[in-house]
Amino acid sequence: MSLKETLIRGLAYLYPMARRWLKRFPGGVYPQYKKELSARHPLHAPILPDELILPLQQHVGVPAIPTVKVGERVRKFQQIAKPAPGLSVPVHAPTSGTVKAIEKRPLPHPSGLPDWCIVIEPDGQDEAGDMPVAIQTPTCPASLKKMILQAGIVGMGGAGFPSWRKLPTKQGQIHTLLINGAECEPYITCDDLLMQTRPHDIIQGALKVAECIGAEKIIVGIEDNKPFALKAMRQAAEGTGVDIQAVPTVYPMGGQKQLTEQLTGIEVPAKAHAVDVGLLMFNVATAAAIYRAAEYHEPLVSRLVTVSGEGLAEPMNIEALLGTPFEALANVAKPKQPLDYPLIMGGPMMGHEVVNTQVPVIKTTNCILANPPQPITPAMPCIRCGECMDACPVNLLPQQMYWHAHAHEWDKVEKLHLFDCIECGCCSFVCPSHIPLVQYYRHAKGEIRKLREEQAFQEHARRRHEAHLARLEREKAEKEARLKAKKEAVKKQAAQSTPSVDAQSAGLSARERAIAAAKARAAKESGPTATDDTAAKRKAAMEAARKRAAAKRKADTSDEPAQSPEEKRKAAMEAAKRRAEALKAQKASTDSATEKTPSEKVGDPLCADAKRKAAMEAARKRAAAQRAKKAQEAASSTDTSTPPGSDQATEETAQADRRLAAMEAARRRAAALRQQKQETGEETPAGKDQTPVENAQTAQNPTSAATPSATEKRDTEKVGDPPSRDSKRKAAMEAARKRAAALRARKAQQNSEHNDT
Amino acid sequence: MSNNGNLWPPAGAPFTHADASVGKVMMQVQIASILPLLVHIYYFGWGIAVQWMLAMMTGLVVEYAMLHLRGRPVKPFLLDGSAVITVTGLTFCIPPESPWWLIVVGVSFALIFGKHLYGGLGYNPFNPAMLGYAFLLVSFPAEMTQWTLPSAVSGHTLSIMDSMIKIFTGHLPQGLIDQVTGATPLDHVKTGLHNGGTVHDVLSHSQTIWNGIAGHGWIQVNIAFMLGGLYLLWTRTIRWQYPVGFLGTLALLAWIFHTIDPAHYAPPLFHLLSGGTMLAAFFIITDPVTAAATPKGRLIYAMGIGVLVYVIRTWGGYPDGIAFAVLLMNIFVPLIDQYTQPRVKGYSK
Repeated sequence: MSLKETLIRGLAYLYPMARRWLKRFPGGVYPQYKKELSARHPLHAPILPDELILPLQQHVGVPAIPTVKVGERVRKFQQIAKPAPGLSVPVHAPTSGTVKAIEKRPLPHPSGLPDWCIVIEPDGQDEAGDMPVAIQTPTCPASLKKMILQAGIVGMGGAGFPSWRKLPTKQGQIHTLLINGAECEPYITCDDLLMQTRPHDIIQGALKVAECIGAEKIIVGIEDNKPFALKAMRQAAEGTGVDIQAVPTVYPMGGQKQLTEQLTGIEVPAKAHAVDVGLLMFNVATAAAIYRAAEYHEPLVSRLVTVSGEGLAEPMNIEALLGTPFEALANVAKPKQPLDYPLIMGGPMMGHEVVNTQVPVIKTTNCILANPPQPITPAMPCIRCGECMDACPVNLLPQQMYWHAHAHEWDKVEKLHLFDCIECGCCSFVCPSHIPLVQYYRHAKGEIRKLREEQAFQEHARRRHEAHLARLEREKAEKEARLKAKKEAVKKQAAQSTPSVDAQSAGLSARERAIAAAKARAAKESGPTATDDTAAKRKAAMEAARKRAAAKRKADTSDEPAQSPEEKRKAAMEAAKRRAEALKAQKASTDSATEKTPSEKVGDPLCADAKRKAAMEAARKRAAAQRAKKAQEAASSTDTSTPPGSDQATEETAQADRRLAAMEAARRRAAALRQQKQETGEETPAGKDQTPVENAQTAQNPTSAATPSATEKRDTEKVGDPPSRDSKRKAAMEAARKRAAALRARKAQQNSEHNDT
Repeated sequence: MSNNGNLWPPAGAPFTHADASVGKVMMQVQIASILPLLVHIYYFGWGIAVQWMLAMMTGLVVEYAMLHLRGRPVKPFLLDGSAVITVTGLTFCIPPESPWWLIVVGVSFALIFGKHLYGGLGYNPFNPAMLGYAFLLVSFPAEMTQWTLPSAVSGHTLSIMDSMIKIFTGHLPQGLIDQVTGATPLDHVKTGLHNGGTVHDVLSHSQTIWNGIAGHGWIQVNIAFMLGGLYLLWTRTIRWQYPVGFLGTLALLAWIFHTIDPAHYAPPLFHLLSGGTMLAAFFIITDPVTAAATPKGRLIYAMGIGVLVYVIRTWGGYPDGIAFAVLLMNIFVPLIDQYTQPRVKGYSK
């Protein structure tokens, strides 16, 4: 003990808060620890409950995917759920028995929402099958990563972060491995008991990890209020080079960044992870679990749990199988009064109340706390005393953050580094006004996240809209260019077929020129007086020409061969008409105004009608194809961004088609969403093709399905014309209703979720 | 109320709490002020006790009425003790034998305009006690400057009955008003310097009366305040930055000017132990609601008050400038807090 430390400890008798100067990080509080309640008893003998409830998600990340069926017999250590792609770990059977059900059960999660669990009815034989082959003794970072993943090991100090994800990919990235045995929360003693009873496992697990990742140094930090654990660990570490350090007892010494600074003096930068500065930290229980996996190929199926609290006559620590209901354990500890008050999972500083006593022990359950409810002190106004600031281990200004959070000034709260708050509860603990500060910060974090999501969504919609406008512009330009090119071509053609009238009809259109040429020829033949006759003749000629043109249209569009004068005139008429018709068809499809010419009046409207019908048919088909594609993608992806496919599909079609297709698609999507919702509500995980993982994701992101209809609606509005407005409005209303429902669902979820973080 | 009386935000961790409450904080301040009160009674007679009772009753009535009018729960806010602190702070500032209505008006103004009209406890930007004092000083200067002379100086010891008669009727049975009350040492020195004397002249001339340093009775009361303040520091009711910043600045300025011109500038000890220096250092500027909240900010805030107090005392129109100095620095609190945020862990800054 250094002189400084001795002085401070002496001073602490006079001025207790002098203890804050004993450590390297600021703040911290000294709650009543009450650890002796459970620590004074030896480990309780294991119990076998009537059923084990194994949630598919006992960790941070993506839930595991069940690999067993209801009714199937499972053996101890058998994998019953495989890791999903992404941040996930598998789940193993803690004992032998039968899969009773795969259903939603309440979880020990702040939200208290039920989620998918595999329920096993133990047969009492505790029969182990072959060890999972995937769990092999590791030798390198990659194999260690694989082993930890396959053994289903997560951060057992309470974080629940899959441990494999924390590991570096290469040797030598980590210079110091830190083992967290601080256990700073009051009441909890499971790590203490673990260090006393299985110090060898912890040390060997740490050595294994250090060997695989090439760490040069191992430091174990243990609070100095655990003398027995310190002694046991020092004995076990003898000759291994593992450094066992006693650290001052202060809450939150067990915080990752706090203990890191205490042990190494390194302050991990705010936006960085410990790995970035060459450090890696594991909880003692995690280290022990790694040892069990490396040495005996055992996956994680049980853990030490502290069962303590003022409401229990015989608090204890017990090696509990994962999935054991809280009540089964609490009953072993002999409740003093009926457990009609909420139990707490974790310690009194950072734990959370659970919805009922039937929630199971999961990989992160370090403590079940049964403290009968105390009278609640109502919150008083903040008097800015500054106790919270002095208690904050991160040097935040809790009081000012509260002030702004209370006023819903999210930008200001964020500027005060809200997201660096570790929610340790020190500020709430010391607040003389009893303000639930941490709740305000959690709420603020939730609100800010929501705002960010909304902003991202709006930004995305804006970009889509702009892209859409640009596309319309581009298409218009292209169309004009095409039209122009066509006109040019027609002009050239006309010039070739009627070279004699070239000069006088230079400024007229091809059609007009052709008619003029025909008139001139007629006048030459029958003289100026026989107009009636000429008109009749012309009519007949035109009729003939039309027939020929219809036949010709199907064959080819090559130039007419030169014929006799009469034939010539007919041919000219015919060519003119054909060109006119082509032009008309084009114009009808582009919706642009065309001047009515004589030939157009005569040209059959049936043809254009048929064309439009065909176009509509095509659009409908495209919409259907799109729909199918979308339904597929909505089911398989969580991506909230681009509504798939629609852009490219509609790009090539004319605007009228696109309008129809969009409307149809919007209607379809709405229907799909409706169906999807029903499915998420009813489906069982193994039964249908959608896994619970996907279900959960679609439920979490109802906006992803609603997104396309929103943007699509805007599209429709843009290009809409009067006749389709009614149906369009219907589609829009439908979409709006859907969005509102989705928003409601999301809100409900966030409300229940904002306790957590 | 802070959470609008509804269930937002929901209850959650931590499920344990330190043994602290607003009432307990205020009670510490009250305990710390017992010693100065007794010392005050010993040197200046029972006047302050009568004033204190009067002030307490006024405070109780005003608090009840205001909480009722504002539709707030009366009990928790009446028991939080904040009004008691305001009342006590103000009582120490007014002359012990001043007429009864002075303290009644002062307390009412302090609580109504200084606290409740801003939204009650925790929402007032100005120190209520100092607001009340400043209001009395500018409104009733004559009554506010006639301080009771220490009994050792005047040769009279006023009984509690004498004080009550004086306070409620304005007359003393013996008709000895002129010999019982007079100027405070700060006032005395200021007037003496104004009339062309030197600090040495003023202090030595009145050695028997003023004790050579800062005035008989005043020194003792100031020391009592300091002891009470140390108790507050020990119980973590107040933070060290306030007294250190304020007293340090005041002493430094006094020392600098006294060294330059000893004839016209009073020595540091005179400033530290006269008037309301120690009262301010440990009981007034430490009011957390109206003071800067960050560690550095507290120091800057306290130093600012030190500078202003010295300036007003030395060159200003009032003998003691604590009330104005505090109120002026109250204005700067948001600005100070804004620019003195501590370095958050993990950031370089």
